[in-house]
Amino acid sequence: MSTEAPFRARTEHVPAPSRPSKPRRGGSSRRPAHWWIPWAFAAPGLAFFALTTGYPLVRSLQISFYQWSVLPGTDSPFVGFDNYVRALGDPQFWTSVVNAGAYLLMTVPATIAVSLVFAVLLHRPMPARTLFRVLYYIPVVTSWVVVSLLFKYLFSSDNGAVNWFLQDVLHAVSEPVPWLEQRWTALAAVSMLGIWKNLGWCIVVFLAALGGVQQDLYEAAALDGANAWAKFANVTFPGIRGTVIFVAIVQIIGAFNVFPSILLMTNGGPAGSTEVPLTYMYKQAFSFLDFGFASAMSFVMAIIISAVSYLQYRITREKKEARR
Amino acid sequence: MKRSLVLPTIALAALTGLAACGVGAGSSQSAPSGNELSPSASVSGEITFWHAYSAGGGEINALEKTIIPNFEKLHPGVKVHDVQVPSSDMHQKLITATAGGALPDVVRADIVTVPELAKLGVLAPLSDVMPDFQSWAAKMFPGPLATNKYKDKYWGLPLDTNTRVVIYNQDALTSQGVSQVPKSLDDLKAAASKVGGGKFIFAEGGSGAWNLLPFIWSNGGEMTDPSVSKATGYLNSPQTVDAIQMLVDMYRAKQIPGNILGGSGDTPTSDGLAKGLYDTIVDGPWTFPGLTASYPSFKPATEPMFSGSAGSISVVGGEDIVMTQQSKNKALAAEFVRYMLSPDAQQAMGKVGQLSAEPALAADMASYAPYYAPYLEQLKTARPRPATPQWAKVDDIFTKQVQLAFQGKVTVQQALDSAASQIDPLLAQG
Amino acid sequence: MSSAPATLVGTPSARRTPSRRRSAIGWTAARTAAVAIGALFLMAPFVIMVTTSFEPNTALLPNPPHFLPQNPTIANYVDAWTGSDFAQYFVNSAYVSVLTTLAAVAISAMTAFAFARFDFPGKNVVYAVLLAGLMIPGIVIIVPQFILAKSLGMLDSLNGLVFFYTAGQIAFTTFMLRAFFERVPTELDEAMTVDGAGTWRKFVRLYLPLARPALATAAVFAFLGAWDEYVWALTVISDASKRTLPLGIAAFQGEHSTAWGLVFAASTIAVIPVVAVYIAGQRHLIAGITAGAVK
Repeated sequence: MSTEAPFRARTEHVPAPSRPSKPRRGGSSRRPAHWWIPWAFAAPGLAFFALTTGYPLVRSLQISFYQWSVLPGTDSPFVGFDNYVRALGDPQFWTSVVNAGAYLLMTVPATIAVSLVFAVLLHRPMPARTLFRVLYYIPVVTSWVVVSLLFKYLFSSDNGAVNWFLQDVLHAVSEPVPWLEQRWTALAAVSMLGIWKNLGWCIVVFLAALGGVQQDLYEAAALDGANAWAKFANVTFPGIRGTVIFVAIVQIIGAFNVFPSILLMTNGGPAGSTEVPLTYMYKQAFSFLDFGFASAMSFVMAIIISAVSYLQYRITREKKEARR
Repeated sequence: MKRSLVLPTIALAALTGLAACGVGAGSSQSAPSGNELSPSASVSGEITFWHAYSAGGGEINALEKTIIPNFEKLHPGVKVHDVQVPSSDMHQKLITATAGGALPDVVRADIVTVPELAKLGVLAPLSDVMPDFQSWAAKMFPGPLATNKYKDKYWGLPLDTNTRVVIYNQDALTSQGVSQVPKSLDDLKAAASKVGGGKFIFAEGGSGAWNLLPFIWSNGGEMTDPSVSKATGYLNSPQTVDAIQMLVDMYRAKQIPGNILGGSGDTPTSDGLAKGLYDTIVDGPWTFPGLTASYPSFKPATEPMFSGSAGSISVVGGEDIVMTQQSKNKALAAEFVRYMLSPDAQQAMGKVGQLSAEPALAADMASYAPYYAPYLEQLKTARPRPATPQWAKVDDIFTKQVQLAFQGKVTVQQALDSAASQIDPLLAQG
Repeated sequence: MSSAPATLVGTPSARRTPSRRRSAIGWTAARTAAVAIGALFLMAPFVIMVTTSFEPNTALLPNPPHFLPQNPTIANYVDAWTGSDFAQYFVNSAYVSVLTTLAAVAISAMTAFAFARFDFPGKNVVYAVLLAGLMIPGIVIIVPQFILAKSLGMLDSLNGLVFFYTAGQIAFTTFMLRAFFERVPTELDEAMTVDGAGTWRKFVRLYLPLARPALATAAVFAFLGAWDEYVWALTVISDASKRTLPLGIAAFQGEHSTAWGLVFAASTIAVIPVVAVYIAGQRHLIAGITAGAVK
């Protein structure tokens, strides 16, 4: 609190901006007084990153061009782009990419939409709000092993709760659905877990962002007679658009890297039909010791993820520009 | 004992190979290290031992409170650091440590990984470096011993063993009008049609080689030739196809629950057995403590693996003890290996659920727990899975193709033809 | 704790007419009901975990799971806590997580500030490389990382864990904080420049205070990330006295059977500090809101 006092006094005379302000690109204030100032701020982080992630990434890229032998000092033949050619021509790899894509479509839009709704609901004062916020965070902190196991039971074909609900309560199906014994139903079940587990995370990020939306904008909108939806569309959403993009990109990366839930619920089966990139890479690397192939697949995946993230970013940005 | 006639050829081959390298062991190339690692040598210093003993079942207690302290008392001044690694993560940790040159001295390794680690070059060949190797090898059941062989050398010794037998629920069988537990594959097929209404005659928890080989072998089928160099003609032989076909038919007729596809989330096999949902399962000795704890009133009964034209042949599981090339104190490591195989250590582990692979200790084992007896009997004919460094891939291909057949996407013959043709080139790599 | 400052935030009630106030009460009730129903769904698996942890230890998980414990007992908690060096694992995890949180948030805030506040040559390339670090799964680079950790002497070391966890959080935390720093109004920054403030002073006096909700969020996630991490810890930690909680919990999972009661009891204990950190973070989330309202 003490750090804020002088800041407030100093900024009282500054007129509040009418829109959530966007930094001006290329303005004089964005040019550092000395060229080294931004580098000095970024240096510790970049050094850490370069050493512990950048260097292993480069090593991993190098490995992807070899038939790499795990034991140091033994022969690792250079194979050029062979591992990449193998990955691109491997139907199981593409099955895994398609599965991750399907998982992404089933989880990311739903997670973001639902979490946004609950974040808005939880943002305004209500009875026991802190308690609710904690409860919504609980799935995020519950161990993957435990929740994957429980979801497996929920979706079990013989006496799982989901089948009981569909069959005995809704009478929607005449016999139990073998959820985890077929590709798409299994992916749907894993997606349900994905949404359930990630909701709380998104809500926490959105709540932090909602705290930054200026209250006077709501008041202005209320004076204009805006209803709840208009307030959301014209004030809330534009105010947190950057955060929505951030959450979407993190969720997209997360969806392509879905791992423990698949491993524990289906282990990629039956017959590899629910394999996702990470379970497949893990198997190639640590079960089959084919590290070159696994690395090559991971770089192909990185390109795919970058492309999808960029596409998503473009779409969100263009919408904003169209609205102006 | 008619059953003993079907002692697997692999085990015979193993014994022959053993005799051969026993001759070569102490002589020329490894003479200096052989002397170093002789049992009479004095040992000192420290070693590290990686294992996947489970914390729940008293195994860790037996190791850390009894076995290691006794070993350290026997050799004053030495220190054994033991590291428990969850079994599902052991392979990953071993491989990463291999790449980083950070392996321990001694490892308790799953029997199917020993040929792979040997090929990788991380293991010391015990048949070369331990002058008394042959005397230890001679004490072991042939099946578990054979899992240590790769390229005419032995890279480890069996530390513990297990197999799978039929466990059944007599009350459930009786209530469904099956008066006697099925003893053969034919009995199983015949009884299956009597059971229904959400109940199942038999349940199996997966479709890997570990799950299905007992059916294949008992039916006279094979996975590979005896020298593990070829799958075509064995994996897709009529007997193998028949065995899988029978299970596929039962699954598709809803006489076996979805567990057989692995990870279906259906009631686990031992759970379903106790609840009377499943009449029979085929599983290992570890099933019993769990059943006793969760279902105290349930009395599980056992029978040998369902027999077929080749008899009742189950699959060998368990762990081997191996020494790494990176070990800086091989003398102490060898001494620790000897102690782990000694009656003291084997009996301490036997009391907490680890079955010894030494026939001489069978009577002791049977006295620790009544449920050991059927396993000791089954072990006389049980066979190890084919010993190949490519095992992880072989099993993966097999599992995937068989699951396609279970799903009805291909015929059993097509699945096994395809699996065999994919496995052949792997086995050719050796 | 949260309700007092929170009331400052809402739409000023003085302007409301009585009828609008009545509809506002109805609206709050509807919102609360919706949130409560959502909470039930989200809580169910956790409730099953806690319930099972209070049942006699079983090797087999009850199916269907129980929502209320049968034959309740605290034996699992006693066994989990005393059966292994659980207290030691707990202390190790707390040490690693607290240091990681402090280091990761401080370092990332500086990095994010540089990217959010300045234009400089090479910025976009460097940022793209940073983001690429988020897209390559950790499991693929774990072998080169392990070799690096060994040459740095960071195997079997809690400080080694802190080092790699901190490094592992930087890309993500920077990514997250940058978005928040970019929303700081340029006018405020310029006003401080007019007052003669240097870059460091602006960072400490303007950007950090305004980003408090974001910093709190980043800290909550950094703590959770370090507290829950399993694969790297498994790979580099062998010495039992250096184990973190996830390693201790995994040790209860046997090869053929798992002591679920112990796993669930241990997992329940492990959740408590993460929730505590989140509750502590809540205060800052709210404080951030009031600070924003002053403007």
